[in-house]
Amino acid sequence: MRWMLLICAGVLFSLNLWAYELKPEKIAENTYLVEGLTDNFSVENGGNVVNAAFVVTEAGVVVIDTGPSFSYGRALRSAIAEVTEQPVVQVFLTHHHPDHALGNQAFADVPIAALAGTQKLLQEQGDHMAENMYREVGDWMRGTEVQFATHIVGAEVINIGGHPFQLFVFTGHTGADLVLLDQRTGVLFAGDMLFYQRALATPNSPSLKTWLTDLERLQALPWRVIVPGHGPLAKDEQPFVQMHDYLTWLDRSLSDAARQGLDMNQVLRLPIPEQFASVNLTRYELIRTVSHLYPKYEQQQWQRIDQ
Amino acid sequence: MCQRFICVVLLSLLSGGVLAVEGKLQPSVMWDYFHQRLLNNADFVFDERVQVHVPPFAEDARQVPVEVDARSLSGQVSKMMLWAELNPIPQVLNLYPSDQLEKFLAVRIRVEQATPIYAALLMDDGVWHVGSAFIEATGGGCSAPSVVRAEEGWESRLGQVFGSRFMAGDHSRLRLRVSHPMDNGLVGAIPEFYVNHAQLNDGNGEVLARLDLFSAVSENPTITLHVKGKPQTHWWLRDNNGNEFTAYMP
Repeated sequence: MRWMLLICAGVLFSLNLWAYELKPEKIAENTYLVEGLTDNFSVENGGNVVNAAFVVTEAGVVVIDTGPSFSYGRALRSAIAEVTEQPVVQVFLTHHHPDHALGNQAFADVPIAALAGTQKLLQEQGDHMAENMYREVGDWMRGTEVQFATHIVGAEVINIGGHPFQLFVFTGHTGADLVLLDQRTGVLFAGDMLFYQRALATPNSPSLKTWLTDLERLQALPWRVIVPGHGPLAKDEQPFVQMHDYLTWLDRSLSDAARQGLDMNQVLRLPIPEQFASVNLTRYELIRTVSHLYPKYEQQQWQRIDQ
Repeated sequence: MCQRFICVVLLSLLSGGVLAVEGKLQPSVMWDYFHQRLLNNADFVFDERVQVHVPPFAEDARQVPVEVDARSLSGQVSKMMLWAELNPIPQVLNLYPSDQLEKFLAVRIRVEQATPIYAALLMDDGVWHVGSAFIEATGGGCSAPSVVRAEEGWESRLGQVFGSRFMAGDHSRLRLRVSHPMDNGLVGAIPEFYVNHAQLNDGNGEVLARLDLFSAVSENPTITLHVKGKPQTHWWLRDNNGNEFTAYMP
Protein backbone atom coordinates (compact mmCIF):
# COMPACT_ATOMS: atom_id res chain seq x y z
CA MET A 1 0.00 0.00 0.00
CA ARG A 2 2.76 2.37 0.97
CA TRP A 3 4.59 1.50 -2.24
CA MET A 4 1.49 2.22 -4.25
CA LEU A 5 1.21 5.63 -2.66
CA LEU A 6 4.84 6.35 -3.34
CA ILE A 7 4.46 5.31 -6.95
CA CYS A 8 1.35 7.46 -7.33
CA ALA A 9 3.14 10.42 -5.76
CA GLY A 10 6.11 9.85 -8.01
CA VAL A 11 3.94 9.76 -11.12
CA LEU A 12 2.13 12.92 -10.07
CA PHE A 13 5.41 14.64 -9.34
CA SER A 14 6.93 13.66 -12.66
CA LEU A 15 3.84 14.91 -14.48
CA ASN A 16 4.69 18.25 -12.95
CA LEU A 17 1.07 19.32 -12.70
CA TRP A 18 0.36 23.01 -12.98
CA ALA A 19 3.81 23.92 -14.20
CA TYR A 20 4.23 25.47 -17.63
CA GLU A 21 7.07 24.07 -19.65
CA LEU A 22 8.16 27.00 -21.74
CA LYS A 23 10.89 26.47 -24.28
CA PRO A 24 12.12 29.66 -25.94
CA GLU A 25 13.23 29.09 -29.50
CA LYS A 26 15.67 31.46 -31.19
CA ILE A 27 14.04 32.84 -34.31
CA ALA A 28 16.32 35.77 -35.22
CA GLU A 29 19.26 37.72 -33.85
CA ASN A 30 18.65 38.18 -30.08
CA THR A 31 15.03 37.19 -30.59
CA TYR A 32 13.13 34.28 -29.03
CA LEU A 33 9.66 32.86 -29.50
CA VAL A 34 7.77 30.98 -26.77
CA GLU A 35 5.21 29.16 -28.87
CA GLY A 36 1.88 28.01 -27.43
CA LEU A 37 -0.57 25.40 -28.65
CA THR A 38 -3.26 26.22 -31.19
CA ASP A 39 -5.91 24.65 -28.94
CA ASN A 40 -8.61 26.21 -26.83
CA PHE A 41 -8.09 26.96 -23.13
CA SER A 42 -8.31 23.83 -21.02
CA VAL A 43 -7.52 22.48 -17.58
CA GLU A 44 -4.87 20.33 -19.30
CA ASN A 45 -2.98 23.14 -21.03
CA GLY A 46 -3.40 25.91 -18.46
CA GLY A 47 -4.16 28.39 -21.22
CA ASN A 48 -0.75 28.00 -22.80
CA VAL A 49 -2.26 28.57 -26.22
CA VAL A 50 -0.55 31.84 -27.00
CA ASN A 51 2.75 33.04 -28.40
CA ALA A 52 4.96 35.19 -26.20
CA ALA A 53 8.29 36.54 -27.39
CA PHE A 54 11.30 38.38 -26.10
CA VAL A 55 14.31 40.26 -27.46
CA VAL A 56 17.61 40.31 -25.59
CA THR A 57 18.99 43.79 -26.23
CA GLU A 58 22.15 45.40 -24.89
CA ALA A 59 20.00 47.41 -22.51
CA GLY A 60 18.03 44.45 -21.20
CA VAL A 61 15.21 42.15 -22.28
CA VAL A 62 12.06 43.35 -24.04
CA VAL A 63 9.04 41.06 -23.57
CA ILE A 64 6.06 40.96 -25.89
CA ASP A 65 2.94 39.67 -24.09
CA THR A 66 2.93 38.03 -20.67
CA GLY A 67 0.64 35.01 -21.11
CA PRO A 68 -2.58 33.75 -19.54
CA SER A 69 -1.73 33.60 -15.81
CA PHE A 70 0.57 34.78 -13.03
CA SER A 71 2.12 31.33 -13.07
CA TYR A 72 2.78 31.56 -16.82
CA GLY A 73 4.37 34.98 -16.31
CA ARG A 74 6.71 33.55 -13.69
CA ALA A 75 7.56 30.60 -15.94
CA LEU A 76 8.26 33.01 -18.78
CA ARG A 77 10.65 34.99 -16.59
CA SER A 78 12.45 31.81 -15.58
CA ALA A 79 12.71 30.77 -19.21
CA ILE A 80 14.18 34.17 -20.07
CA ALA A 81 16.66 33.87 -17.20
CA GLU A 82 17.92 30.60 -18.67
CA VAL A 83 18.70 32.34 -21.94
CA THR A 84 20.30 35.50 -20.62
CA GLU A 85 21.45 37.17 -17.45
CA GLN A 86 20.12 40.51 -18.71
CA PRO A 87 17.22 41.89 -16.67
CA VAL A 88 13.80 42.40 -18.20
CA VAL A 89 13.49 46.14 -18.87
CA GLN A 90 10.31 46.53 -20.89
CA VAL A 91 7.03 44.70 -21.53
CA PHE A 92 4.70 45.44 -24.42
CA LEU A 93 1.13 44.17 -24.47
CA THR A 94 -0.23 43.65 -27.97
CA HIS A 95 -3.84 43.79 -26.70
CA HIS A 96 -5.98 43.24 -23.62
CA HIS A 97 -7.14 39.64 -24.10
CA PRO A 98 -6.56 37.39 -21.08
CA ASP A 99 -4.17 34.96 -22.76
CA HIS A 100 -1.83 37.87 -23.57
CA ALA A 101 -2.04 40.09 -20.50
CA LEU A 102 -2.77 38.06 -17.36
CA GLY A 103 0.89 37.24 -16.76
CA ASN A 104 1.55 40.93 -15.99
CA GLN A 105 1.91 40.36 -12.25
CA ALA A 106 5.18 38.52 -12.84
CA PHE A 107 6.50 41.74 -14.40
CA ALA A 108 5.29 44.12 -11.70
CA ASP A 109 8.80 45.61 -11.37
CA VAL A 110 9.04 46.38 -15.10
CA PRO A 111 7.40 49.12 -17.18
CA ILE A 112 4.42 47.59 -19.00
CA ALA A 113 3.40 49.48 -22.13
CA ALA A 114 0.11 49.25 -24.00
CA LEU A 115 -2.14 51.33 -26.22
CA ALA A 116 -4.57 53.70 -24.47
CA GLY A 117 -7.44 51.65 -25.91
CA THR A 118 -5.93 48.45 -24.54
CA GLN A 119 -5.67 49.97 -21.07
CA LYS A 120 -9.32 51.05 -21.23
CA LEU A 121 -10.49 47.59 -22.34
CA LEU A 122 -8.39 45.96 -19.64
CA GLN A 123 -10.06 48.20 -17.05
CA GLU A 124 -13.53 47.48 -18.40
CA GLN A 125 -13.24 43.77 -19.14
CA GLY A 126 -10.16 42.52 -17.28
CA ASP A 127 -11.86 41.15 -14.18
CA HIS A 128 -14.59 39.44 -16.16
CA MET A 129 -12.01 37.87 -18.48
CA ALA A 130 -9.91 36.71 -15.53
CA GLU A 131 -12.97 35.13 -13.88
CA ASN A 132 -13.68 33.32 -17.09
CA MET A 133 -10.10 32.03 -17.24
CA TYR A 134 -10.43 30.62 -13.73
CA ARG A 135 -13.48 28.74 -14.98
CA GLU A 136 -11.74 27.52 -18.11
CA VAL A 137 -8.35 26.41 -16.80
CA GLY A 138 -8.81 26.17 -13.05
CA ASP A 139 -5.90 25.99 -10.64
CA TRP A 140 -3.33 27.22 -13.14
CA MET A 141 -4.80 30.65 -12.51
CA ARG A 142 -4.10 30.62 -8.78
CA GLY A 143 -3.16 34.07 -7.53
CA THR A 144 -3.76 35.72 -10.90
CA GLU A 145 -5.20 39.22 -10.83
CA VAL A 146 -5.55 41.82 -13.51
CA GLN A 147 -2.65 44.22 -13.59
CA PHE A 148 -2.88 47.29 -15.80
CA ALA A 149 -0.22 48.76 -18.04
CA THR A 150 2.05 51.37 -16.50
CA HIS A 151 2.80 53.29 -19.70
CA ILE A 152 0.69 54.27 -22.66
CA VAL A 153 2.27 54.11 -26.09
CA GLY A 154 1.10 54.98 -29.59
CA ALA A 155 2.43 54.88 -33.14
CA GLU A 156 6.08 55.69 -32.50
CA VAL A 157 9.59 54.25 -32.62
CA ILE A 158 11.06 53.13 -29.29
CA ASN A 159 14.75 52.34 -29.34
CA ILE A 160 15.89 49.87 -26.71
CA GLY A 161 19.49 48.68 -26.59
CA GLY A 162 20.13 48.92 -30.32
CA HIS A 163 16.74 47.53 -31.36
CA PRO A 164 14.46 50.21 -32.81
CA PHE A 165 10.92 48.94 -32.27
CA GLN A 166 8.44 50.57 -34.60
CA LEU A 167 4.95 50.54 -33.09
CA PHE A 168 1.80 50.39 -35.22
CA VAL A 169 -1.78 50.85 -34.13
CA PHE A 170 -4.50 48.66 -35.64
CA THR A 171 -8.10 47.97 -34.65
CA GLY A 172 -9.24 44.84 -36.50
CA HIS A 173 -8.99 42.29 -33.69
CA THR A 174 -10.02 44.19 -30.54
CA GLY A 175 -10.28 47.88 -31.44
CA ALA A 176 -6.81 48.49 -29.95
CA ASP A 177 -4.14 46.25 -31.41
CA LEU A 178 -0.44 46.99 -31.06
CA VAL A 179 1.94 45.54 -33.63
CA LEU A 180 5.72 45.86 -33.24
CA LEU A 181 8.31 45.69 -35.99
CA ASP A 182 11.89 45.31 -34.87
CA GLN A 183 13.68 47.37 -37.52
CA ARG A 184 16.97 45.68 -36.76
CA THR A 185 15.86 42.08 -37.30
CA GLY A 186 12.72 42.54 -39.37
CA VAL A 187 10.71 40.47 -36.90
CA LEU A 188 7.05 41.44 -36.91
CA PHE A 189 5.33 40.83 -33.59
CA ALA A 190 1.81 40.81 -34.99
CA GLY A 191 -0.15 39.94 -31.85
CA ASP A 192 -3.61 38.63 -32.66
CA MET A 193 -3.85 40.72 -35.77
CA LEU A 194 -2.49 37.47 -37.23
CA PHE A 195 -3.74 34.01 -36.37
CA TYR A 196 -2.02 31.21 -38.28
CA GLN A 197 -3.33 27.63 -38.45
CA ARG A 198 -5.75 28.62 -35.69
CA ALA A 199 -9.12 30.23 -36.35
CA LEU A 200 -9.31 33.92 -35.58
CA ALA A 201 -11.36 35.13 -32.62
CA THR A 202 -13.71 38.11 -32.79
CA PRO A 203 -14.98 39.02 -29.29
CA ASN A 204 -14.11 42.71 -29.62
CA SER A 205 -13.61 43.05 -33.36
CA PRO A 206 -15.22 46.21 -34.77
CA SER A 207 -15.83 44.37 -38.07
CA LEU A 208 -14.30 41.80 -40.36
CA LYS A 209 -13.93 44.44 -43.09
CA THR A 210 -11.89 46.62 -40.72
CA TRP A 211 -9.66 43.64 -40.05
CA LEU A 212 -9.26 42.97 -43.79
CA THR A 213 -8.26 46.60 -44.39
CA ASP A 214 -5.77 46.46 -41.51
CA LEU A 215 -4.34 43.26 -42.92
CA GLU A 216 -3.31 44.97 -46.17
CA ARG A 217 -1.48 47.67 -44.24
CA LEU A 218 0.19 45.06 -42.06
CA GLN A 219 1.32 42.94 -44.98
CA ALA A 220 2.94 45.95 -46.65
CA LEU A 221 5.34 46.48 -43.74
CA PRO A 222 9.00 45.51 -44.32
CA TRP A 223 8.90 42.31 -42.24
CA ARG A 224 11.22 39.35 -42.65
CA VAL A 225 9.93 37.07 -39.91
CA ILE A 226 6.34 36.88 -38.65
CA VAL A 227 5.36 36.04 -35.08
CA PRO A 228 1.58 35.53 -35.11
CA GLY A 229 -0.38 35.80 -31.86
CA HIS A 230 -1.33 32.16 -32.22
CA GLY A 231 0.23 29.51 -34.43
CA PRO A 232 3.66 28.77 -35.87
CA LEU A 233 6.34 31.19 -36.94
CA ALA A 234 6.43 32.14 -40.62
CA LYS A 235 8.98 33.67 -42.95
CA ASP A 236 6.69 34.01 -45.94
CA GLU A 237 3.31 35.57 -46.56
CA GLN A 238 1.33 32.41 -45.79
CA PRO A 239 -0.24 33.78 -42.57
CA PHE A 240 -1.48 36.82 -44.52
CA VAL A 241 -2.87 34.66 -47.30
CA GLN A 242 -4.67 32.41 -44.85
CA MET A 243 -6.04 35.31 -42.81
CA HIS A 244 -7.20 37.12 -45.93
CA ASP A 245 -8.94 34.05 -47.34
CA TYR A 246 -10.51 33.16 -44.03
CA LEU A 247 -11.75 36.67 -43.23
CA THR A 248 -13.11 37.02 -46.75
CA TRP A 249 -14.95 33.70 -46.51
CA LEU A 250 -16.33 34.58 -43.10
CA ASP A 251 -17.50 38.03 -44.16
CA ARG A 252 -19.12 36.70 -47.31
CA SER A 253 -20.80 33.80 -45.51
CA LEU A 254 -22.34 36.05 -42.89
CA SER A 255 -23.49 38.55 -45.54
CA ASP A 256 -25.02 35.83 -47.69
CA ALA A 257 -26.72 34.24 -44.70
CA ALA A 258 -28.24 37.54 -43.60
CA ARG A 259 -29.41 38.18 -47.15
CA GLN A 260 -31.21 34.81 -47.17
CA GLY A 261 -32.80 35.55 -43.81
CA LEU A 262 -31.08 32.74 -41.92
CA ASP A 263 -31.19 32.70 -38.15
CA MET A 264 -28.06 32.21 -36.04
CA ASN A 265 -28.34 28.45 -35.61
CA GLN A 266 -28.52 27.97 -39.35
CA VAL A 267 -25.44 30.14 -39.82
CA LEU A 268 -23.27 28.38 -37.28
CA ARG A 269 -23.98 25.06 -39.03
CA LEU A 270 -22.74 26.34 -42.41
CA PRO A 271 -20.09 24.13 -44.01
CA ILE A 272 -16.48 25.21 -43.53
CA PRO A 273 -14.49 25.05 -46.77
CA GLU A 274 -11.97 22.25 -47.16
CA GLN A 275 -9.17 24.79 -47.71
CA PHE A 276 -9.31 25.63 -44.00
CA ALA A 277 -8.99 22.01 -42.86
CA SER A 278 -5.51 22.72 -41.44
CA VAL A 279 -6.84 25.60 -39.35
CA ASN A 280 -7.63 24.59 -35.78
CA LEU A 281 -10.92 25.50 -34.02
CA THR A 282 -12.78 26.84 -37.06
CA ARG A 283 -16.21 25.56 -35.96
CA TYR A 284 -15.73 26.78 -32.41
CA GLU A 285 -14.75 30.26 -33.53
CA LEU A 286 -17.52 30.39 -36.14
CA ILE A 287 -20.03 29.76 -33.36
CA ARG A 288 -18.52 32.62 -31.36
CA THR A 289 -18.28 34.97 -34.34
CA VAL A 290 -21.95 34.42 -35.20
CA SER A 291 -22.78 35.57 -31.68
CA HIS A 292 -20.45 38.59 -31.87
CA LEU A 293 -21.02 39.89 -35.36
CA TYR A 294 -24.06 38.35 -37.07
CA PRO A 295 -26.54 40.85 -35.55
CA LYS A 296 -24.74 43.62 -37.46
CA TYR A 297 -25.11 41.72 -40.72
CA GLU A 298 -28.79 41.11 -39.99
CA GLN A 299 -29.35 44.78 -39.28
CA GLN A 300 -28.02 45.67 -42.73
CA GLN A 301 -30.71 43.53 -44.34
CA TRP A 302 -33.61 44.82 -42.29
CA GLN A 303 -35.77 47.87 -42.63
CA ARG A 304 -37.61 49.89 -40.08
CA ILE A 305 -41.14 48.50 -40.35
CA ASP A 306 -43.07 49.88 -37.38
CA GLN A 307 -46.00 52.17 -38.05
CA MET B 1 -27.26 6.14 -17.79
CA CYS B 2 -29.41 8.82 -16.26
CA GLN B 3 -31.20 9.23 -19.56
CA ARG B 4 -31.98 5.55 -19.80
CA PHE B 5 -33.19 5.51 -16.24
CA ILE B 6 -35.58 8.37 -16.84
CA CYS B 7 -36.90 6.75 -20.01
CA VAL B 8 -37.55 3.56 -18.13
CA VAL B 9 -39.26 5.42 -15.33
CA LEU B 10 -41.40 7.37 -17.76
CA LEU B 11 -42.35 4.27 -19.69
CA SER B 12 -43.32 2.41 -16.58
CA LEU B 13 -45.25 5.34 -15.19
CA LEU B 14 -47.12 6.02 -18.36
CA SER B 15 -47.43 2.61 -19.89
CA GLY B 16 -51.22 2.86 -19.96
CA GLY B 17 -51.36 5.64 -22.55
CA VAL B 18 -50.32 6.12 -26.14
CA LEU B 19 -46.87 6.96 -24.98
CA ALA B 20 -43.61 5.82 -26.37
CA VAL B 21 -40.20 7.33 -26.01
CA GLU B 22 -39.02 7.53 -29.59
CA GLY B 23 -36.68 10.44 -29.56
CA LYS B 24 -33.71 11.47 -27.51
CA LEU B 25 -34.47 12.81 -24.08
CA GLN B 26 -32.03 15.19 -22.46
CA PRO B 27 -30.89 14.15 -19.01
CA SER B 28 -33.46 16.08 -17.04
CA VAL B 29 -34.14 16.53 -13.37
CA MET B 30 -37.34 18.47 -13.86
CA TRP B 31 -39.19 16.75 -16.65
CA ASP B 32 -41.95 15.50 -14.36
CA TYR B 33 -42.41 18.97 -12.90
CA PHE B 34 -42.78 20.66 -16.26
CA HIS B 35 -44.88 17.82 -17.62
CA GLN B 36 -47.29 18.50 -14.81
CA ARG B 37 -47.11 22.30 -14.73
CA LEU B 38 -46.91 23.17 -18.42
CA LEU B 39 -48.38 20.15 -20.17
CA ASN B 40 -51.02 19.36 -17.53
CA ASN B 41 -49.84 15.75 -17.32
CA ALA B 42 -51.20 15.21 -20.82
CA ASP B 43 -50.01 12.46 -23.14
CA PHE B 44 -46.67 13.15 -24.76
CA VAL B 45 -44.02 11.56 -26.89
CA PHE B 46 -40.37 12.43 -27.35
CA ASP B 47 -40.20 12.88 -31.07
CA GLU B 48 -37.02 13.20 -33.12
CA ARG B 49 -38.95 15.16 -35.70
CA VAL B 50 -39.15 18.02 -33.20
CA GLN B 51 -35.65 19.32 -33.61
CA VAL B 52 -34.42 21.90 -31.15
CA HIS B 53 -31.17 23.52 -32.22
CA VAL B 54 -28.94 25.57 -29.98
CA PRO B 55 -25.19 26.23 -30.16
CA PRO B 56 -23.15 23.76 -28.06
CA PHE B 57 -22.30 26.62 -25.69
CA ALA B 58 -23.64 30.10 -25.00
CA GLU B 59 -21.10 32.64 -26.18
CA ASP B 60 -23.44 35.37 -24.91
CA ALA B 61 -25.84 34.04 -22.26
CA ARG B 62 -28.06 37.10 -22.80
CA GLN B 63 -28.61 36.26 -26.46
CA VAL B 64 -28.78 32.52 -27.02
CA PRO B 65 -30.27 31.52 -30.36
CA VAL B 66 -32.88 28.75 -30.19
CA GLU B 67 -34.40 27.19 -33.28
CA VAL B 68 -37.34 24.80 -33.31
CA ASP B 69 -37.74 22.94 -36.57
CA ALA B 70 -40.55 20.39 -36.81
CA ARG B 71 -41.21 20.71 -40.51
CA SER B 72 -40.92 16.96 -41.01
CA LEU B 73 -43.84 16.44 -38.61
CA SER B 74 -47.19 16.16 -40.39
CA GLY B 75 -50.47 17.31 -38.93
CA GLN B 76 -51.66 20.55 -37.43
CA VAL B 77 -50.09 22.15 -34.34
CA SER B 78 -52.50 23.96 -32.05
CA LYS B 79 -49.90 25.11 -29.54
CA MET B 80 -46.17 25.10 -29.07
CA MET B 81 -44.46 25.70 -25.73
CA LEU B 82 -40.79 26.48 -25.34
CA TRP B 83 -38.93 26.49 -22.03
CA ALA B 84 -35.41 26.45 -20.59
CA GLU B 85 -35.59 23.99 -17.74
CA LEU B 86 -33.09 25.44 -15.26
CA ASN B 87 -33.80 29.11 -15.86
CA PRO B 88 -35.21 31.23 -13.02
CA ILE B 89 -37.87 32.14 -15.58
CA PRO B 90 -38.12 28.90 -17.51
CA GLN B 91 -40.94 29.71 -19.92
CA VAL B 92 -39.81 31.39 -23.14
CA LEU B 93 -42.91 31.53 -25.28
CA ASN B 94 -46.14 29.88 -26.36
CA LEU B 95 -46.98 29.88 -30.03
CA TYR B 96 -50.51 29.37 -31.40
CA PRO B 97 -50.01 28.86 -35.13
CA SER B 98 -52.57 28.79 -37.93
CA ASP B 99 -52.29 26.26 -40.72
CA GLN B 100 -50.55 28.95 -42.79
CA LEU B 101 -47.47 28.72 -40.59
CA GLU B 102 -44.60 26.31 -41.18
CA LYS B 103 -43.50 24.37 -38.13
CA PHE B 104 -40.44 26.53 -37.61
CA LEU B 105 -39.52 29.19 -35.10
CA ALA B 106 -36.31 30.92 -34.09
CA VAL B 107 -35.90 33.20 -31.10
CA ARG B 108 -33.06 34.46 -28.87
CA ILE B 109 -33.31 33.80 -25.17
CA ARG B 110 -31.49 34.38 -21.90
CA VAL B 111 -30.02 31.49 -19.94
CA GLU B 112 -28.86 31.74 -16.35
CA GLN B 113 -26.89 28.49 -16.40
CA ALA B 114 -26.31 25.43 -18.53
CA THR B 115 -29.74 23.93 -19.15
CA PRO B 116 -31.86 21.59 -21.21
CA ILE B 117 -34.25 23.43 -23.52
CA TYR B 118 -37.58 21.90 -24.49
CA ALA B 119 -40.06 22.48 -27.25
CA ALA B 120 -43.45 20.75 -26.98
CA LEU B 121 -45.92 20.79 -29.85
CA LEU B 122 -49.54 19.88 -29.22
CA MET B 123 -50.67 18.07 -32.37
CA ASP B 124 -54.16 17.36 -33.61
CA ASP B 125 -53.85 13.81 -32.24
CA GLY B 126 -54.00 15.41 -28.78
CA VAL B 127 -50.45 14.36 -27.93
CA TRP B 128 -47.57 16.66 -27.09
CA HIS B 129 -44.60 15.98 -29.35
CA VAL B 130 -41.47 16.97 -27.49
CA GLY B 131 -37.94 17.76 -28.61
CA SER B 132 -35.01 19.00 -26.61
CA ALA B 133 -31.45 20.27 -26.69
CA PHE B 134 -28.80 21.09 -24.14
CA ILE B 135 -26.78 24.29 -23.93
CA GLU B 136 -23.57 24.70 -22.01
CA ALA B 137 -23.27 28.12 -20.40
CA THR B 138 -21.13 29.96 -17.91
CA GLY B 139 -24.39 31.69 -17.27
CA GLY B 140 -25.65 34.86 -15.75
CA GLY B 141 -27.73 35.82 -18.77
CA CYS B 142 -30.89 36.45 -16.76
CA SER B 143 -29.25 38.52 -14.05
CA ALA B 144 -26.81 40.53 -16.17
CA PRO B 145 -27.47 44.29 -16.42
CA SER B 146 -29.46 45.38 -19.45
CA VAL B 147 -27.47 46.33 -22.53
CA VAL B 148 -30.43 48.32 -23.87
CA ARG B 149 -30.80 50.44 -20.74
CA ALA B 150 -27.10 51.33 -20.87
CA GLU B 151 -27.63 52.96 -24.26
CA GLU B 152 -28.47 56.61 -24.09
CA GLY B 153 -31.96 57.52 -25.32
CA TRP B 154 -33.24 53.94 -25.34
CA GLU B 155 -36.70 55.17 -24.27
CA SER B 156 -37.08 57.07 -27.52
CA ARG B 157 -36.32 53.88 -29.46
CA LEU B 158 -38.73 51.74 -27.48
CA GLY B 159 -40.95 49.75 -29.79
CA GLN B 160 -39.03 50.43 -32.97
CA VAL B 161 -39.39 47.36 -35.15
CA PHE B 162 -36.82 46.23 -37.68
CA GLY B 163 -37.26 43.30 -39.94
CA SER B 164 -37.72 41.92 -43.38
CA ARG B 165 -39.29 39.20 -45.44
CA PHE B 166 -37.02 36.71 -47.18
CA MET B 167 -38.48 34.42 -49.81
CA ALA B 168 -37.28 30.82 -49.66
CA GLY B 169 -39.02 28.66 -52.25
CA ASP B 170 -42.77 28.92 -51.76
CA HIS B 171 -42.65 30.34 -48.28
CA SER B 172 -41.62 33.58 -46.59
CA ARG B 173 -39.11 33.85 -43.79
CA LEU B 174 -40.42 36.64 -41.61
CA ARG B 175 -37.80 38.10 -39.32
CA LEU B 176 -38.21 40.93 -36.88
CA ARG B 177 -36.57 42.59 -33.94
CA VAL B 178 -38.36 44.89 -31.52
CA SER B 179 -36.41 47.45 -29.52
CA HIS B 180 -37.34 46.64 -25.95
CA PRO B 181 -35.32 46.05 -22.73
CA MET B 182 -37.44 42.99 -21.75
CA ASP B 183 -36.75 43.61 -18.06
CA ASN B 184 -37.33 40.39 -16.15
CA GLY B 185 -37.41 41.81 -12.62
CA LEU B 186 -34.15 40.08 -11.66
CA VAL B 187 -31.80 43.00 -12.23
CA GLY B 188 -31.21 46.05 -10.04
CA ALA B 189 -34.73 46.44 -8.62
CA ILE B 190 -36.08 47.21 -12.09
CA PRO B 191 -39.60 45.76 -12.26
CA GLU B 192 -40.75 43.45 -15.00
CA PHE B 193 -41.22 45.31 -18.25
CA TYR B 194 -41.43 43.11 -21.31
CA VAL B 195 -43.34 42.37 -24.48
CA ASN B 196 -45.81 39.65 -23.51
CA HIS B 197 -48.09 39.38 -26.53
CA ALA B 198 -47.60 39.34 -30.28
CA GLN B 199 -49.90 38.59 -33.14
CA LEU B 200 -49.26 38.15 -36.84
CA ASN B 201 -52.14 38.85 -39.25
CA ASP B 202 -52.35 38.63 -43.01
CA GLY B 203 -53.70 41.41 -45.24
CA ASN B 204 -57.29 40.25 -44.73
CA GLY B 205 -57.02 40.36 -40.97
CA GLU B 206 -56.80 36.57 -40.63
CA VAL B 207 -54.62 35.51 -37.72
CA LEU B 208 -51.49 33.68 -38.88
CA ALA B 209 -49.99 33.25 -35.42
CA ARG B 210 -50.35 34.37 -31.84
CA LEU B 211 -47.52 34.41 -29.31
CA ASP B 212 -47.35 34.70 -25.53
CA LEU B 213 -43.86 35.88 -24.65
CA PHE B 214 -42.10 35.65 -21.31
CA SER B 215 -39.18 37.64 -20.00
CA ALA B 216 -36.76 34.80 -20.70
CA VAL B 217 -36.83 36.18 -24.24
CA SER B 218 -33.72 38.31 -24.82
CA GLU B 219 -33.81 42.07 -24.89
CA ASN B 220 -34.63 43.44 -28.30
CA PRO B 221 -36.62 40.27 -29.03
CA THR B 222 -35.60 38.70 -32.32
CA ILE B 223 -38.10 36.29 -33.84
CA THR B 224 -38.21 34.32 -37.07
CA LEU B 225 -41.34 32.60 -38.38
CA HIS B 226 -41.96 30.87 -41.69
CA VAL B 227 -45.29 31.46 -43.37
CA LYS B 228 -46.65 29.76 -46.49
CA GLY B 229 -46.80 31.86 -49.65
CA LYS B 230 -46.27 35.58 -49.62
CA PRO B 231 -49.13 37.19 -47.74
CA GLN B 232 -48.97 40.79 -46.58
CA THR B 233 -48.27 40.66 -42.88
CA HIS B 234 -49.13 42.93 -40.00
CA TRP B 235 -47.48 42.57 -36.61
CA TRP B 236 -49.09 43.69 -33.41
CA LEU B 237 -47.15 43.59 -30.14
CA ARG B 238 -47.98 44.65 -26.62
CA ASP B 239 -45.88 44.87 -23.46
CA ASN B 240 -47.02 44.34 -19.88
CA ASN B 241 -47.26 48.13 -19.39
CA GLY B 242 -49.87 48.30 -22.14
CA ASN B 243 -47.65 49.85 -24.81
CA GLU B 244 -48.72 48.65 -28.25
CA PHE B 245 -46.49 48.45 -31.27
CA THR B 246 -47.46 47.65 -34.83
CA ALA B 247 -45.42 46.85 -37.90
CA TYR B 248 -46.15 46.03 -41.50
CA MET B 249 -44.31 43.81 -43.95
CA PRO B 250 -45.63 44.38 -47.49
